[in-house]
Amino acid sequence: MARTTSRSQRLLKWVGNGLLAVLLVWTLLPFYWMIATSLKADREIYGFEATLYPHRPTLAAYGRLFRTTPFVKYVRNSTIIAVGNTLASLVLGCLGAYALARLRFPGRALIARGLVVTYLVPPALLFIPLFSVLSVLRLIDTHHGLILTYLSFSVPFSTWLLMGYFRSVPLELEEAALVDGCSRLGSLVRVILPMSLPALAVVTFFAFTQSWNESLYANVFVNSVEVRTITTGLSLFVVEDVFFWGPMMGASFLSTLPPLIMYLIFQRWVVKGLTLGAVKG
Amino acid sequence: MLGRPRRSGALRQEAWLAWSLLSPALLVILFLVAYPFFSAIYLSLQDKMVGAPGRFVGLDNYLALFRDDVFLRTAWNSVLYTAVAVGLKFVLGLTMALILDQPRRFNNVFRTLLFVPWAVPVVIVALNWRWIFDDLSGFLNNFLITFHLTSDIISWLADPRLAMGCVIAVVVWAGTPLYSMTFLAGLQAIPRELYEAAELDGASTVQQFFFVTIPRLKTVFLTTVMLSTIWTATNLQFVLILTRGGPGSRTEIFPHLAYTTALGARRLGMGAAISLVFFPLLVVLIVLLTRRMLRPADE
Repeated sequence: MARTTSRSQRLLKWVGNGLLAVLLVWTLLPFYWMIATSLKADREIYGFEATLYPHRPTLAAYGRLFRTTPFVKYVRNSTIIAVGNTLASLVLGCLGAYALARLRFPGRALIARGLVVTYLVPPALLFIPLFSVLSVLRLIDTHHGLILTYLSFSVPFSTWLLMGYFRSVPLELEEAALVDGCSRLGSLVRVILPMSLPALAVVTFFAFTQSWNESLYANVFVNSVEVRTITTGLSLFVVEDVFFWGPMMGASFLSTLPPLIMYLIFQRWVVKGLTLGAVKG
Repeated sequence: MLGRPRRSGALRQEAWLAWSLLSPALLVILFLVAYPFFSAIYLSLQDKMVGAPGRFVGLDNYLALFRDDVFLRTAWNSVLYTAVAVGLKFVLGLTMALILDQPRRFNNVFRTLLFVPWAVPVVIVALNWRWIFDDLSGFLNNFLITFHLTSDIISWLADPRLAMGCVIAVVVWAGTPLYSMTFLAGLQAIPRELYEAAELDGASTVQQFFFVTIPRLKTVFLTTVMLSTIWTATNLQFVLILTRGGPGSRTEIFPHLAYTTALGARRLGMGAAISLVFFPLLVVLIVLLTRRMLRPADE
């Protein structure tokens, strides 16, 4: 009995290792191809002489990317919008979540529900009428317009997540502060926020990466190069159905770095945020 | 919540503070989600082109859709695409989670690597795979020809028999980490004692899996599948970049058809109608999920 268990356990272990290897190849292959392509000269990228790895690695594609395309401008726009949206969702999220977690008022449950529903309504449903809203407000082709529309998914999410977290901060701590003459907002800033750093990290991560990665609204609400973000700018490297794969893969690699680095830093908390059932994917 | 019942003046003050703290978030919801949502419904009842005043036509847009062959094929495609993609993500995600739950050296490195696709912008995932599938110089054909596995060039994204499969493969690649992350967290939350008790009762590894692991993961399964179904069914970026719905609308799905109708053909009313047709199905998921996400204590 004991022997069969250990044998089946050993078998499971090796099956596991084998599958792990397969899954690693499947997951990492696109990254390999992306980086390999960005390091090749055109001769090795196209046609009969195409190679599986760069025989003569070169940074020429990156040179072309920086010299001949508005890549830097796109990155700047993405950064402005992602940072702006992150700051706004942190502030709006904290204020709203505090009210929902700690204050008594009629309609509280309804608003909490409304927030979650809002978060789950897919952008694919909203982009057509939102276009008219932004036109009326004259926000088409502006950074503000994109920051504002991204708030429609980041604010409900951050408010909901922070609400859950604020509730777990012991009431006594805050009561003590209030008795000591601290105002409500004062106790939010001095008592609750310092204890909610992991939740703030998750909100920062999601708000930033979701704005950085978003492409539907960015595509529909922006036309000019001056405002265009990297995700939509990338597909414009295509000229009349001809793709410039070298610079394009270089750009893909570089613009994957910010969300990737964020992911590596925030990993620990993000997985926790995810278990709350909370991520686009 | 704070404090015991007080004078009504204090309560009113508390409510006033609450509404002022919530007002910015509520404005966002009202103007950027609620209003657009209802105006989408109104729009879908009009014959409206971009830049021209609309004409009220009642349910004509919807009726026209159900007589349209492309639309009916799109409906079938959307169901197939969503079901297969979600199913595969589930199986692959569970496999990944079970593997990562085994004791192994460097497991956190493997975990980090396997979850990476999740951080990559969808547009970049799609472009990247489009390049892998490229007819003449993409990785796949390149690889198959170098190792003499095929002599012909395979048109992955242009072949009517292969295109949908390729789109689904990409969607699965990008979406699996969400599943494995939540499943792994669920696995690690199962108390060890349950397995020890099962083993004492003589349960085999397989029995432990079906009678201890699976029941314990049920809530995680449900939440993840529902969330992912909403996002899978409504994502149009993959199709937009990989195939544009082609060849011959073989990979056409609702959100992409709505997009091309509203912005390509500039028929806003019809586009809104298309995107709303599949909404009743999503409402069920949204209602169930909302209840779940608001439960005070999670597992």
